Amino acid sequence: MPVYEFVPRRENWYVWLPLLAALVIFPLLVRSEYILSIAVYAGIYIILTSSLNITNGYTGLFSFGHAAFYGIGAYTAAILATRLGLSFWLTLPLAGVVAGLFGAAIALPTLRLTGIFLALVTIGFQEITFLVTLNWIGLTRGPMGIPAIPPPAIGGVALSGNLGYYYLILALDVIVLGLLSRIVTSRVGRAFMAIREDELAAQSAGIPTFRVKVLSFVIATFFAGIAGAFFAHHARFVSADSFRLDETFAILTMLIVGGMGSLVGPVLGAVLLVVLPEASRFLAEYRGVVYGLILIGVILFRPEGLAGVPGIIQARGALSRVDESSGAGEPVG
Amino acid sequence: MSLLEIQSVSVSFGGLMALKRVSFALEEGEIVGLIGPNGAGKTTLFNCLSAFQPVSEGHLRYSGVALETLSPHQVAALGVARTFQTSRIFRRMTVLEHLLVGRHLHQRTDLWAAIARPAWVAREEAEARECGLRTLALFEDRLLPRLHDFAETLSYANRRRLEIARALASEPRLLLLDEPTAGMNPHESAGIVQLIKKIRHLGISILLIEHDMKVIMGVSDRIVVLDHGEKIAEGLPEEIRRNEEVLRAYMGRRYGRA
Ligand SMILES: Nc1ncnc2c1ncn2[C@@H]1O[C@H](COP(=O)(O)OP(=O)(O)OP(=O)(O)O)[C@@H](O)[C@H]1O
Ligand SMILES: [Mg+2]
Repeated sequence: MPVYEFVPRRENWYVWLPLLAALVIFPLLVRSEYILSIAVYAGIYIILTSSLNITNGYTGLFSFGHAAFYGIGAYTAAILATRLGLSFWLTLPLAGVVAGLFGAAIALPTLRLTGIFLALVTIGFQEITFLVTLNWIGLTRGPMGIPAIPPPAIGGVALSGNLGYYYLILALDVIVLGLLSRIVTSRVGRAFMAIREDELAAQSAGIPTFRVKVLSFVIATFFAGIAGAFFAHHARFVSADSFRLDETFAILTMLIVGGMGSLVGPVLGAVLLVVLPEASRFLAEYRGVVYGLILIGVILFRPEGLAGVPGIIQARGALSRVDESSGAGEPVG
Repeated sequence: MSLLEIQSVSVSFGGLMALKRVSFALEEGEIVGLIGPNGAGKTTLFNCLSAFQPVSEGHLRYSGVALETLSPHQVAALGVARTFQTSRIFRRMTVLEHLLVGRHLHQRTDLWAAIARPAWVAREEAEARECGLRTLALFEDRLLPRLHDFAETLSYANRRRLEIARALASEPRLLLLDEPTAGMNPHESAGIVQLIKKIRHLGISILLIEHDMKVIMGVSDRIVVLDHGEKIAEGLPEEIRRNEEVLRAYMGRRYGRA
């Protein structure tokens, strides 16, 4: 079975259970705060990349503003925690809901139009979100950012070192990947893929494509918000420039390098591209360049990425959707 | 009441009238052949019926329901399935997944059920799979051995079969087939004729566009002929075979253009 078809199930426990066990033991072996902090970041990007994969990979939509929803989640959590004193366990789902609502607000007017509009609107939304966070000082403290976000507490004990965060993000990743794998292996996930492959044929099979595309977008943005909340409570400080277009590019690069339309791809991409630049100080300083070169290499030599569905990058969905009509304007026949 | 009534339907693309006041009906259980030279408006009529193309004038009634105000997925939900002249398969989905997508309308797993996975979800999936396999059995051993292959790896003829299979999986009452034998060799075309006969035995009515006269004469109960967007003839196969105007439309085109 090709890697891109892998879905964790009860029957194939021998694949994922040892891996999970290794991840549980890992921090006990490497007792380095630095390495753990990298692992925590990889965990955050696994959620970001896997959720972007729902729209851009499975449904073939071209969303270009994932970092904005990540930021909305982070700010939602930061504001709720510092102003209202809500705990992480409340800010986490609320950040997802708020990001998902913004996602719906973007999706509803845009997804009836052809694919290029979603790309344009999400890029625009990205910039607008940045400007609003920077200038709505009353809510966001503008350029000062929001400091002193309390850490998550488990059983009344606040997390202090990265060890706690490591296990928390590991648990969150397991849950998110579990939810996403249930979604994509269901009737709903098949509807996503059918839309990616041929929207008109999907409609003819009775799939209400507009509604399903909105659903896909809301799912993706909800989980971006979840990642944002975790980020806020981990970094304990948020500021607007963490969630700009370059961040969207980073997530998109991870997705493309890892491979779209599979469950494994985004995980590989996130881990690889978080860990790789850390391998040397030189690389870390040139993160943008490193990502750019890897991205070009992958697109030239292995367009489906490490574990993506072969052919998906030339797909009607994915990247090429931008210059292609996706709806009624297209000749049917 | 007829299953399908096409009442004085016109479609214009800018100045070009692709359909001019076309009217005919299809009765439950019937196979109606729709023929005509290239550009006659056959596919345009299909697009109107499946709500991809708004009609400029006229009405479409399917078991009494007006189709012209619906969207494509609503038409599908009424039990009208179609195939496309150039195959529209899901290239990177497996044969089985095509059949499951075909069952979409008969399933009810939504986001919450997909996540919570109550017991009925597994039952529903098993049912859909079973029904899909039953549908594939109509195609003998063409598709069944390729259950888990991506559609893009299939031969041309198998892609066309897969499209029909996906449409059949939705258990339609009316099936619209747009040139199912296009690009097939005579042996494969003969297979399609057999298939159409099997589909009729399932009680499904068919509107069939076809250029292959052997196919159309072999399976149609009645034939409607379009030329330049107008209906120029309608009748039993043997009547159409002898119809002067039909011969002229075909000959005129064939020799006039070549
Ligand atoms: N979307 C469209 N925009 C403009 N003109 C169109 C469109 N679709 C079809 N036409 C024109 O309408 C006429 C009828 O086309 P249609 O595809 O219905 O013919 P057809 O009978 O299916 O022909 P064929 O046997 O070649 O498939 C043609 O002249 C075609 O060029
Ligand atoms: Mg045609």
